[in-house]
Parts: sequence; C-alpha cells; structure tokens
Amino acid sequence: MSEQSKDVCDPNSAAEASNSEVHSSPGVPGGLSPPASQAATLAGPESPPLGPTDVPLASPPPEAPSEEGDPKALQQAAEEGRAHQALSTAQPGPAPPAPAQLVQKAHELMWYVLVKDQKRMIIWFPDMVKDVIGSYKKWCRSILRRTSLILARVFGLHLRLTSLHTMEFSLVKALEPEELDRVALSNRMPMTGLLLMILSLIYVKGRGARESAVWNVLRILGLRPWKKHSTFGDVRKLITEEFVQQNYLKYQRVPHVEPPEYEFFWGSRASREITKMQIMEFLARVFKKDPQAWPSRYREALEEARALREADPTAHCPRSSVSED
Amino acid sequence: MGAPSPRSPRPEGAAAPAFLLWPPAVGAAPGYRALSHPQGGTRRAGVMTDVHRRFLQLLMTHGVLEEWDVRRLQKHCYRVHDRTGAVEELEDFINNINSVLESLYIEIKKGATEDDGRPVYALVNLATTSVSKMASDFAENELDLFRKALELIIDSDTGFASSTNILNLVDQLKGKKMRKKEAEQVLQKFVQNKWLIEKEGEFTLHSRAILEMEQYIRETYPDAVKICNICHSLLIQGQSCETCGIRMHLPCVAKYFQPSLEPRCPHCNDYWPHEIPEVFDPEKEREAGPSKVSKRSLRSRQH
Repeated sequence: MSEQSKDVCDPNSAAEASNSEVHSSPGVPGGLSPPASQAATLAGPESPPLGPTDVPLASPPPEAPSEEGDPKALQQAAEEGRAHQALSTAQPGPAPPAPAQLVQKAHELMWYVLVKDQKRMIIWFPDMVKDVIGSYKKWCRSILRRTSLILARVFGLHLRLTSLHTMEFSLVKALEPEELDRVALSNRMPMTGLLLMILSLIYVKGRGARESAVWNVLRILGLRPWKKHSTFGDVRKLITEEFVQQNYLKYQRVPHVEPPEYEFFWGSRASREITKMQIMEFLARVFKKDPQAWPSRYREALEEARALREADPTAHCPRSSVSED
Repeated sequence: MGAPSPRSPRPEGAAAPAFLLWPPAVGAAPGYRALSHPQGGTRRAGVMTDVHRRFLQLLMTHGVLEEWDVRRLQKHCYRVHDRTGAVEELEDFINNINSVLESLYIEIKKGATEDDGRPVYALVNLATTSVSKMASDFAENELDLFRKALELIIDSDTGFASSTNILNLVDQLKGKKMRKKEAEQVLQKFVQNKWLIEKEGEFTLHSRAILEMEQYIRETYPDAVKICNICHSLLIQGQSCETCGIRMHLPCVAKYFQPSLEPRCPHCNDYWPHEIPEVFDPEKEREAGPSKVSKRSLRSRQH
C-alpha cells in the first residue's frame, strides 16, 4: 500500500517555513502544504483545485494553500465529502463554533498528539476524532491545520500522515538529525541500555539473534526471563512484546526448527532512529575496547555514516554521542 | 515568572490578551506573529529558536526530569544548534519558553520531590480537568484503580496508602473485572511509569503525578486535599504541627528552619517536634555519584 508521505519538503525547509512569518496566504512555500493537504485528504475537500465539493463548511479557513493530492487521496476525500454532504442535508448546517473554541480544540489535539507520541503509541485518525475533535468533526481540517502549525512553530515537529491506508499519523522531528538526542541522556534511560544491548548483539552477529543468545547476554545485567526486575518489570514481556510493538525489535519464529525457537531482528524503528556508529560506540563503552576491535562492523558503520552525511549535506558530523559528558 | 493575572483556561470570545491578536475568522495562527513582533501586550513574549524547540521535544519525550538532567539537556540543545551562543541561565531559559507556551495553556512546571527536595521539571497541561495524560495509557479499570489509590493517598494521614487497602477495593472498579493479582501488576505499572512510588508495600504519588495532576486533584478533592503552609502547593507527604495541625513539605521544613536553632511552628509558635531534614544540595548529590537511591530521604511518617 503506497505511503501517503508528503515528503515534498525535506525537514530543513519545513523548519525554515515554520521559522518564517506564518501568514495566511496561499503563497506559503512547501513547508505548509503537507500538513494542510493531509488534513484535506481526511476531512473533506473544500478548495476548488480538488474538484467539485459538496461540503458547505460553515466557517471555512479563507486561505487555500495549494494542495498536491494524488488520485487516491482525492478519491478518499471525495468519499468523505459525500458522507459529509449526506449528513448536512439531513439537518440544517449547525452554527459555526466560535473561533476561540476551534483554537481550544487545536490545543487539545496538540496535547493529545504529544502525549501519544511520548507514550510511543500510534496516532490514529479515528481516535483523534473520537477522543478530541468529537462534534467538531466538520471543522476537523482547520483544527488539524492549526495544530500542525503550532507543533511546527513551537516544538519543531511535523504532524505527518504516515499511512493513508491505516490513517496513522506520526510526529516527525523537523529539526536537524538528532541521533545524539536519544543517547544524550542514555545513562539515565535504562530502557535504552537494554535495547542497545540487544540491538548490538544482533548487529555483531550479523544476523538474527536467537532468544537463548539474548538471554545469555542479559544474564550479564542480572536479568532472567522468569524474574521480575525492579526497573524493567517483566523483562521477557518488555522485549518480546513492548519493544516489538514499538517497532524497535522483530521477534520471529526460526523456520524449520523443532521444538520452536525464536529470534530477534532489528525493527524498522531501530533502523530509522539508531545508527550503526552509535552501536559501535555503545559496544566500545560497554566492553571498554576500541570500536575497531570489531573491524568489519566498524567498516559498515563508517559506510553508513558516510552515506548519511552524503544524503543530507547540511547535517553536522555526529560526535561521540554515547560517551556523553 | 510573572504571569498576567487573568489565567482563565477557557477564553470566551475576545478576552485574549492583546498581544495574541486572534482576529475572528482567519484559519492560520496569527498568534505566532506575536513572536516576531513582541510589542504591546502585558509582557514580551519570548522568541522560539531551534534550541528551545529541541529542548521542548526532549523534555516531552522524557516526561519528567531532574534538574541536573535538565541542565544537561539544555547544554545539549545549545551544542546542537547554537554552539557559539552563550547558554542562558536555566530559569530565564525556561521562563522564555513558558511565555510562548502560555497561550497554549501548557507550561514547564518546576516542582520538587517530596521526600528530599530534589528539583524536578515536567511539561504539564494546565487546561486538563482529568487524569488525561494517563487516559490513553491505561484501560478503564486500570484508571479507576489509580483513582481509588489516589483517593486513599489523599485521605491518608501519612500520604501513603497500603497495598492491602488498595487491593481491597478491586471489586469496586469500573470496567472489566480485575483480580487482585492483576491489580498488583497494574500498581507496578504505575510505579514504572512514574505515577506512583512504592516504599515497603505502601504507595504514594510520584513527583511527576503531583506536578501534572495538582490542578486536577485540587479541583476534585477540595476538602480532603492538604496544602503546605510554606509554599502553598499540594502536599502529600510532609510534617505537621501537633498543636495546630498545619503541614509542611519536608524540603520546605528544611529551608524554613535552616537558620534557626529552635524550630517553632510558623502558625502557632509552638515548639516544632520533628527532626529537621537537610536542605537539598545539588553539589553534594553530584559527589555522591549518579546512583539515584537517595540515602538521605527521611522516613516521611512524621506526624
């Protein structure tokens, strides 16, 4: 299923866009269109470029930033629009809410999204409507747009529709790459240490790590599958369920092995958020060795770092992040 | 930080402060214009830079942080975005950010751990009227278990509720039926997520919960709630005067009585019968090493 990623603007121009004066003009550069057009795809079309609209939005935002819908999005939007039309012909259009109320809803939605992201939970559009927007569903688009603006302006975060199919949003950092952030406070985040331990084991092996191997390593930390830990709680549940749910790890059955055994792989989120160089630095710190003690892995990490720098020339070199002050 | 006086969380109509400039029918957020034109209004709104944005992002990610972590975080954000700039004094830095957050009804709030006075910071939503931050995390019966525990803690004299007493209420929970064994695990989940602290089989509120839910608690339990006589914030654990009954946080006791040789109750002037704790000293804490187990935390049941 194609991802509805409005990556027309890269993070840098989004940051610029949110830095510059935000006026309600259609001529706003690419930085603003993504959140707005995402909102448009879900909350019903309204502006002429999207084709005939049926939705009489009572208090329409006057500006209409240029939308770049793709055919699928337009279809979805048109369907949504028809649904809205059916609703509004049933009863006379409700009075538009006071602007202050829309603003308040936008603030509630902002907090809701921030908390969901903090808990690393999925931000699901139907949940947003059910839990926050409620009866203001018709004005969902303007609420969503305002929320996106606030998040960009104040937090430097992009509220991005990551999957139109599942209607999931995620908060993406619009600032420069910050792999440093995750480990900036690493010695105060036991979860990260545990996760890094497992990820580095998988990385060093070069393939999936069997569950038994992982437990051998965790034994060093005094963790056992059957023992509850004061900080981690049920460790087994944490690594086989929670980390998997958060896409940091993959937990799969090893094929053709009886009795059944399972192995761990890097999850998609780990691949996105954690660099190989960070793993090497972590290993170096834990084993008190030079990262070059794992020569082939270190070479891989260098390769990846170089590729990342080339992909984003404005990024500054990540320094030794794990061995923070 | 000086706040403009009318702090009503729900702006009705056009009651917003002058500098926010919410003209009625515009969809975009003109309030942000205020950020680059800090003119008029009751006070200058701060300017958000990428340093502040990253700081906010990370503070939100971590939920609640102790002061030294916050300083580290601040330095880190400067290093990433503005290496040449001078690192602003933390209090001003945070006030600056808060002046921007004010129109969004959120705030970086500073509090202190009740047992040994370590300063903590959290980003809190001032407009909440429920335990909304937790709501997305927990099932209905789990939330209700928390509410029951919260009630017991607030009603108690010591600020602690025993595990037994909480578990005995398991039958009264809303939602799906929960067994005691399950409830024990849910309580542990609360501890791990820093909503509750456990000490010897008893539970009290984590400083995070106090920071985030103070408003909710004061509104929901206006009669049962205890307030510190010195700082006038919510009090869960503390010391109380045996004569007149006023209460004070342990760190507030420490600060208030620090210079005096004969501690007397600020309200009734009677001799203060409890041991006076030491004032929290961040330097000493640093020397003792990063391990968080606080040896100096006194037994809080001094009533």
